[in-house]
Amino acid sequence: MTIQFKSITELRMLLDQKSISTSELTQESLKLVKKYKELNCFVTMNEDVSSKKANVIDQNKKTGSMLSGIPLAQKDLFCTEGLRTTCSSKILSNFIPPYTATAVKKLEDAGSITIGKTNMDEFAMGSSNETSYFGNVHNPWKKGYVPGGSSGGSAAAVAAGIVPAATGTDTGGSIRQPAAHCGITGLKPTYGRISRWGMIAFASSLDQAGSLARTAEDCAILLNTMSGHDLKDTTSLDVAVPNFLENLNNPIKGLKIGIIKEFNLSDLESEIQSRFQDSKKLYEKLGAEFVEISLPNISASVPTYYSIAPAECSSNLSRFDGVRFGHRAENTEDLNDLYIKSRSEGFGDEVKRRILIGTYALSAGYYDAYYKKAQQVRRLIKNDFDHAFKSVDLLMTPTSPNTAFAFGSKGTQNPVELYLEDLFTISSNLAGLPAISVPHGKVNSLPVGLQLIGNFLREDQLLNAAHIFQENSDFHLAKPTMEDFS
Amino acid sequence: MDQETVRTICFLARLEIDTNKSEKIQKDLETIIELIGGLQSINTDNIDPLYSPLEKTALKHEDIEKSDNKKGKFLKNAAASNEDYFLVPRVVE
Repeated sequence: MTIQFKSITELRMLLDQKSISTSELTQESLKLVKKYKELNCFVTMNEDVSSKKANVIDQNKKTGSMLSGIPLAQKDLFCTEGLRTTCSSKILSNFIPPYTATAVKKLEDAGSITIGKTNMDEFAMGSSNETSYFGNVHNPWKKGYVPGGSSGGSAAAVAAGIVPAATGTDTGGSIRQPAAHCGITGLKPTYGRISRWGMIAFASSLDQAGSLARTAEDCAILLNTMSGHDLKDTTSLDVAVPNFLENLNNPIKGLKIGIIKEFNLSDLESEIQSRFQDSKKLYEKLGAEFVEISLPNISASVPTYYSIAPAECSSNLSRFDGVRFGHRAENTEDLNDLYIKSRSEGFGDEVKRRILIGTYALSAGYYDAYYKKAQQVRRLIKNDFDHAFKSVDLLMTPTSPNTAFAFGSKGTQNPVELYLEDLFTISSNLAGLPAISVPHGKVNSLPVGLQLIGNFLREDQLLNAAHIFQENSDFHLAKPTMEDFS
Repeated sequence: MDQETVRTICFLARLEIDTNKSEKIQKDLETIIELIGGLQSINTDNIDPLYSPLEKTALKHEDIEKSDNKKGKFLKNAAASNEDYFLVPRVVE
């Protein structure tokens, strides 16, 4: 029996009906990793531990949770005790964490099986997975094309049907954009909904853990497990966690969806515009109402983000000094030389570029002009969202202005070209809002995504709207042929 | 931004840039600074900065003493250590 391309819900049924054992399922998943090695979506495998855990689950006759025995992949940014965690960087290429991130621990405690760690943009800095020390990840829909980033390995592993779902993190679109480019569903929850403890920090006020899966329903299952207050993370919200599966099927008649006036969609490729209009029509048919709404400062999201994120990155990445963990340069003259050489050898170009920008933005004389100014604009953007959600339930945009592109075709001459890929996704990170990307067709044979942004802590409404969309369309069922990778 | 500024930022960030990449880095930084410089045209008079989407955080919890010594595990990740300490080049003559 092939388990390729099956969702968590489908695999749960097969396990419960004893059509397949947990061990068989785990081995099938591991076989698919090997079969599609060329995709390069995994950095480190967890074969022995996975096999042993699967055996234990098979021997334990008790009924487990929804996730019991389900193979998952973890983005290589989540610390996993005893299992190498690299952030796809040379500087952490030998790092074995002494603890496991809360989000992953919750998934593992629920019985899921971590089969391996997925490739990503180095320290999650990138929108194409081309900054990884371990090489590019191919998009399962087209060899030589990017899967998006930074959670590109997780997106490719799910899109190729190797695992039903994977964890990701989203600082400016890093779950939603690769989900869109790979034709799967990706959820970035509200900031604070899921603990960040054990996630290697890039930009602490923007980073958020989430999931990449085949359906919104599977994202709800994962969110149920990953959410919750964690004393180890002071930014983790101490609020009740609803059962996100309960309201998935609520009718959406009367749901008010806002179209953001400032995003000039007529600038996009006509086919991308058409997919968007088709999805709008489907929602209208299902009873949703659309209104045009103005968020006057949203166009400033990209420059705001590229001031704040590098500033936080330069501070967070100062911990990598070659002393306590990670790569250490040899033949250094003194302690300062050790820091400089270890960091210079360990970090790639994009990470260095962002550290330098952040250092500049935070330096004496520039702090007010760049960093403080960006945080003030950030409040204006958040105020715009607060105002918008007084009259609409959700906002809708394309996830990305483009489809996946060929390796090396963007951002090599001008890094800002690649930064603009996050045009539609960045603002929800600045405001801490939940957002989801669902597949809604193809343009030039490549998948494109539809983004829904929800109000603070309203993942229930987002998942409901996404699920109803998927119940009434079949875009999420499309699968790549994988012919180029067999 | 000139080469001298690039050298100063590199020093502050404890990074070294290859000489052959230095001009490209300068150009990239200029482009990004130009992008974020665009924010100056937005009026932010009397607007408080928003440093985090959650303004009421930093929750307190009880200060309970506990022993969770993972020294061995932590030292194992260091490139150089003895049984008690991380080792670095000599800093005191």
